[in-house]
Amino acid sequence: MKLNILIAGVGGQGNLFASALLARSAIQRGFQVLATETIGAAQRGGSVVSHLRIADHVLYSSLIPDGGADYLIGFEPVELLRHIRKLKPDGVYILNTHPVLTIGCTMGVDRYPTLDEITDSLEKMNLRGHVIQATQAANEISSPMLMNMVMLGALCAVSDFFDLEEIKALITQGSRKALVQANLEALEEGAWLILQPAEA
Amino acid sequence: MSDRPFLLVGETILPEGGETSAESTSELRFVMGNEAIARGALESGVRVVAGYPGTPASEILTSFVSYPQVYVEWSTNETVALELTQGASLCNQRSMAVMKHNGTNIVTDFLMHLNFTGVRGGLVLISADDPGGNSSQNEEDTRILTHSYAHLPVFDPCSSQEAKDMVRAAFELSESTELCFVLRPVMRVCHSRTMVVFEQPLELNRPAEFINDRSRFVMSAVVEKSAGGQMRPVVRHRWLNQKQVELQALVETLPFNEIELGEGGIGLVGCGIGYTYCKEAEDLIGRKLPILKLGTLPLPRAKLLAFAERVDTLVVFEETEPVVERLVKEMLFDAGKQVRVLGRSAFLPSEGELNDGIVLQALARLDPTYEKFIPKPFPFSVNAPTRTRTQCVGCSHRGLLHALKLVARKTKAVVTGDIGCYDAGSFPPMELQSTIYCMGASIPMGNGIAVSGLGQPVFAIIGDSTFFHSGLPGLINAVHNNARLVVVIADNGTTAMTGFQPHPGSAENVRGEQVRATSIEKIVAALDIPVQTINPYDIEETIAALNKAVQHPGVSVVVASAPCLLYARGRGEELFTEHTVSVDPEQCNGCRVCIDFFGCPAILFDGDKASIDQLTCVSCNLCLDVCRRGAIS
Repeated sequence: MKLNILIAGVGGQGNLFASALLARSAIQRGFQVLATETIGAAQRGGSVVSHLRIADHVLYSSLIPDGGADYLIGFEPVELLRHIRKLKPDGVYILNTHPVLTIGCTMGVDRYPTLDEITDSLEKMNLRGHVIQATQAANEISSPMLMNMVMLGALCAVSDFFDLEEIKALITQGSRKALVQANLEALEEGAWLILQPAEA
Repeated sequence: MSDRPFLLVGETILPEGGETSAESTSELRFVMGNEAIARGALESGVRVVAGYPGTPASEILTSFVSYPQVYVEWSTNETVALELTQGASLCNQRSMAVMKHNGTNIVTDFLMHLNFTGVRGGLVLISADDPGGNSSQNEEDTRILTHSYAHLPVFDPCSSQEAKDMVRAAFELSESTELCFVLRPVMRVCHSRTMVVFEQPLELNRPAEFINDRSRFVMSAVVEKSAGGQMRPVVRHRWLNQKQVELQALVETLPFNEIELGEGGIGLVGCGIGYTYCKEAEDLIGRKLPILKLGTLPLPRAKLLAFAERVDTLVVFEETEPVVERLVKEMLFDAGKQVRVLGRSAFLPSEGELNDGIVLQALARLDPTYEKFIPKPFPFSVNAPTRTRTQCVGCSHRGLLHALKLVARKTKAVVTGDIGCYDAGSFPPMELQSTIYCMGASIPMGNGIAVSGLGQPVFAIIGDSTFFHSGLPGLINAVHNNARLVVVIADNGTTAMTGFQPHPGSAENVRGEQVRATSIEKIVAALDIPVQTINPYDIEETIAALNKAVQHPGVSVVVASAPCLLYARGRGEELFTEHTVSVDPEQCNGCRVCIDFFGCPAILFDGDKASIDQLTCVSCNLCLDVCRRGAIS
């Protein structure tokens, strides 16, 4: 058994925290875990990518090979595009629709692709995935900072490996008490967005 | 279930059924490679650790904050750190110096003496490389400096666990051989997170003693009577060369080099992290390949020759220069072996970071039956726009950079830059600094531009930590030579880019001790340089100070002083009064100054008017001064 999860986002979105939660859940069950991240030289605002590899045997490279990711989680649409080559042909992507504009796009020297362009292109490649409004859902709960938990909730609904109740238990044990309730709500909302797409 | 805080790193996590007893001497921890390296030193009884922050190595040193038995310091620069650790070594204590590759460049002078004198207490130099320059201004391979040039033994780990094991071996061997040992971890080792075995720290309790041996520890051009009148540098050089024989025998016995048997005539030589990509390729192909795992320099000659017997081609995967490849060629040539050796000198990419795909492609080029294992890229029709980094929303540097941009444009000045967060001012939309090289280069380069006859004003912008690191010699030089330039010191009170480490201007050091903060203004004043201190959140005040400074017919200094926003927030301090910043669409004429010149990511443009992204705005109010029409309030 081997499972590769790549989370692509922007600095400040809680990418590393999300990856660490998933790692912890796998370690608790006795799996081997190897993870790394590429964070660039900036404190905020640059591309951040987490590679998480889980297996029942020894792992060597912390980098997920091209075409090797079972799940590609895009905290930001363009960041998902940037790493699409990592997805397995039969892998699953989860895309948060909320863009974080690049400076070039704000300046008008680059063009930020429309959501339709992105989803059409994903469909043309016959890739399987889910497009959810995670930032909006997080905002409705209390803060856009909860987006990472909404995305993890969605992953739990999509994946046979990760278990929503287990992730919730980890949050309850670990997070500062004031944040626990909002985090749990965000996780459940993420799962709901996948399981009840028609009503979302 | 405990109610301890949720730690991302360094926590004990036991797999199901993996309970440890109270007597247990080891436990499995989920840690970053850097923490594993620190732990290896702790388990070796290290007494003194010093370094300067730099990605990917910074967390090695900060890990020691939880080990109060170890003396730890952030030094002003890497040379200071290595010199300090050798001082401790001469007192028979185990010590470790920690730096990234740029730091190793600047310690080279001391290293070229340290190699001749040798050490007393075990001394390990951590020289972390960043292949691909993911978080660096350049990419390089410090094995060349430490091994090819300084002839010191180097360990190149493939994993966090091996990094820790290597540190422990390095301390032992450093004492038995009297040589400084080097660990060269790459980014993918430093920043990987996995399970590592933590064992009990070694308590050496060794008394410090200093025994004079001037024939070793006084490096000078002096005649050695005891060596038949030869010069001391030659005598010590011979000592180092003779050590190579001892090292050669030693590396054959170490567990870091191994032969793995497999099918086919293509032998993969995996050096350090390169080994993991070979193993990954093997997994993707689904059968065992002949692999020589290498982790040491010098190379294990006997193992190499035995491996070469079994194959007709060797492909060497190493980060980043063809160091091992050339040594392999030399050894095979000397042994009279006819084996083709390929690697980063030509066959593989000569620049950039390795990955498993490079191993697969190399195999496919040598044997087309491997082509089917190379993944086909998706035919993706949409381009992802590049994401250039910039100052954080609310960063004080943005106010300084904006003011400097306005003054530099008006005075047709050239602006030289340095290493730190403010370097993002050289990217769009600011495009302010015209040069960025290495730590401290801004002031001398600005000085050179000033004396070149160009006839334009020059600004050199440098950060506080960088100023202490290597800015001061350039400043003194500029004064001594009657240069005319403005030195702008962006003082945010911390080494922000690498994770908020303290520096000599801080009031608290890494050990948590209250210390006297060194005042940049007082240093500058002692050089009789006119100095103005301004608040970069006040753009008008900043512009006025820069305009005044540029009129001065000599060296002048402007210190832009405001705390790093993220650092302050991390300590529970709020710099701004929260309120809703908004753009009045009636007043905004769409001139784009706030976007194309100021470039705060919290300001958006809908094609006609600017607007504020309320989710990211932190109410720093800088943009209120940027908009000359008063449209932002």
